[in-house]
Amino acid sequence: MTRSRASTVLLTILSAAFLVTGCSSQDQNIAARGEKVLYLFNWNNYIAPKTVKQFEQSCNCRLSQDYYADNEEMLAKLAAGASGHDLIIPTGNAMSTLIHQGVLRPLDKTLLPNLKNINPSHLNNAFDPGNKYSVPYAYTVTLLGFNQQKIIELGLPTDSWSLIFEPKYLKKIKGRVTVLDSQRELMAAALKYLGYSANDANELHWQEARNLILRAKPYWAAFSNTSYVKELAVGNLWVAHGYSNDMFQAALDAKKTGRKFIIDYSIPREGAVLALDSLVIHQSGTHPELAHQFITFMLDGRNSAELTNLTGSGNPNMSAVQFIQPEIIDNKAIFPDQELFTRLEMIQDLDRTQRRRLSRLWTEIKLRNL
Amino acid sequence: MIRNGAKENRVTKWLVSGPPLVFLLVFFVTPSLIMLFTSLRFPGEFGGLAPIISPTEAAQGEHGLTLETYQLFFSDILYAEVFLKSFIVASTSTLICLIMAYPLALLIARSEKRFRNLMVLLVVLPFASNFLIRIYAWMIILGPESVFSHFINGVLSAFGVAPVTLLFSPFAVIVGMVYVYLPFMVLPLYTNLEKHDPALLDAAQDLGANAWQRFWHVTWPLSLPGVFSGSVLVFIPVLGMFAVPDILGGTGDILIGNLIKDQFLGTRDWPFGSTLSIMLTLAVLAITALSTWLARPASITKG
Repeated sequence: MTRSRASTVLLTILSAAFLVTGCSSQDQNIAARGEKVLYLFNWNNYIAPKTVKQFEQSCNCRLSQDYYADNEEMLAKLAAGASGHDLIIPTGNAMSTLIHQGVLRPLDKTLLPNLKNINPSHLNNAFDPGNKYSVPYAYTVTLLGFNQQKIIELGLPTDSWSLIFEPKYLKKIKGRVTVLDSQRELMAAALKYLGYSANDANELHWQEARNLILRAKPYWAAFSNTSYVKELAVGNLWVAHGYSNDMFQAALDAKKTGRKFIIDYSIPREGAVLALDSLVIHQSGTHPELAHQFITFMLDGRNSAELTNLTGSGNPNMSAVQFIQPEIIDNKAIFPDQELFTRLEMIQDLDRTQRRRLSRLWTEIKLRNL
Repeated sequence: MIRNGAKENRVTKWLVSGPPLVFLLVFFVTPSLIMLFTSLRFPGEFGGLAPIISPTEAAQGEHGLTLETYQLFFSDILYAEVFLKSFIVASTSTLICLIMAYPLALLIARSEKRFRNLMVLLVVLPFASNFLIRIYAWMIILGPESVFSHFINGVLSAFGVAPVTLLFSPFAVIVGMVYVYLPFMVLPLYTNLEKHDPALLDAAQDLGANAWQRFWHVTWPLSLPGVFSGSVLVFIPVLGMFAVPDILGGTGDILIGNLIKDQFLGTRDWPFGSTLSIMLTLAVLAITALSTWLARPASITKG
């Protein structure tokens, strides 16, 4: 008795010490008892709690999650030695990094009978030709969120990046706009507005984008990756450059708290960034068959729809459509029509010299003024 | 006999200085060496580091050691500007902390003994809640629709000044920094001021010194060691802070901390991030050395 108590304490301490591998002490205990635990390395709030419960019942196992707030954090944690994750849900470019590092396990498609549920337009992309490693899970679009009342009042356009780049519009909303604190996302928006590809790495085009950004910067309140959600919802911000699922959240919050305005969002007509997150199986995981079972479970339309209903994420699963709330499925910013969809672009990784160049440019953007 | 004593003395010296030395070795020298080594390598194509010795099958791509990150740092004035900016923010925060903490520390030190511990406890109390939560609270306080903002802008408009936005500004960054690090200034000042002999002030008064002269010629010079250690405790962490400018700062508030964080995350350029960290460490060491030199007993008695 005492001995088992002592070993529990020891396990707790050990797991606390190895937090980076992210196994909570409870899970350690279960693992110690011989029960199967599936380790999922996931974004915050990126699976419905109900879905977790249902999966645990169906597999007679435990689903343990670790969270990351962005792809870089996930890659950095893995590079620093975090291991033991069966499944990860990276975005395209980060997934291609993992594929090139050779740390992913190829899928066994015989175990995934309902892979056909996925919309073909989300399959076979440049990051993983033939989907050898990945199954699309959900997607977000980087777009413009805005306070509808204010925008109508001020007579501003909402279907163009000009809203955050053109001084003639910006001067009406000075200090009430934020843009993403992300080198790639902001550059992509600027490049798209200038008519280039989001993945353009031409030095001259970058300089053009830099000038565009520096010209608009005095009107922006801040570079913000997370706080814009709350600030939009309470009415402090009128326009924000951000992710569709965050805007969904802000709109919901504003509605729930009974604000006098509506938060709406739309994809600029110049095109925008699409971030497709896919399920991949990591080699350091010890339950590949259970991981396949989870993927199959998530490919089921009903389970997949839960996530969209909860977070407003885009859903690549065709069989999920009938289970998604009508106001979400009709939202063009979450489910863009075919014509708009073709103007979305996924961000590809830059090579190391380009990354260093962009980082320098970014420092300059933060530090200097035109 | 004498030799024996000397030997004993040496053993005691080692016993006393051993633990701090080991501590420094483990928690300062080793990480610094790892950073130095990292700064000399090539970044990996997909993050992390390129191998030092290239595996034969993947012979393409850079490997080995290089000084290119140092070249990058010294060939571009941009990075020096970030350092300069951080120094300005850190100096301003330290100065404001000092001005705010000194009267408080003096008040605690001069109050009745039984209240002192309670007051020190109250100074430390904010640490009971998480630092990030407290910074987020400042977002609400400084937000454009907050009571505080309305009050400030009301006062400003009475004087005919255009309204200002407090959140997302260099002002908000300084507020956040001062708020977080104020206790680090109060505590060393208090421990110093508490030790002052009240008889000295009485003597000064007897010799005809007024309140200001008593402070300036007696209390202030004696408190300088506390001022210096407090300043170091505030200045150095502010210099490396990235969370406060991230949360409260506006479009131009980039400090060294943010730059380093960017290298490890967004840019995935570990070698350059290490180089920047080493430069920061060197700057901090230089400052510590300078303040130790300034705080040496000789200069204080002279002052």
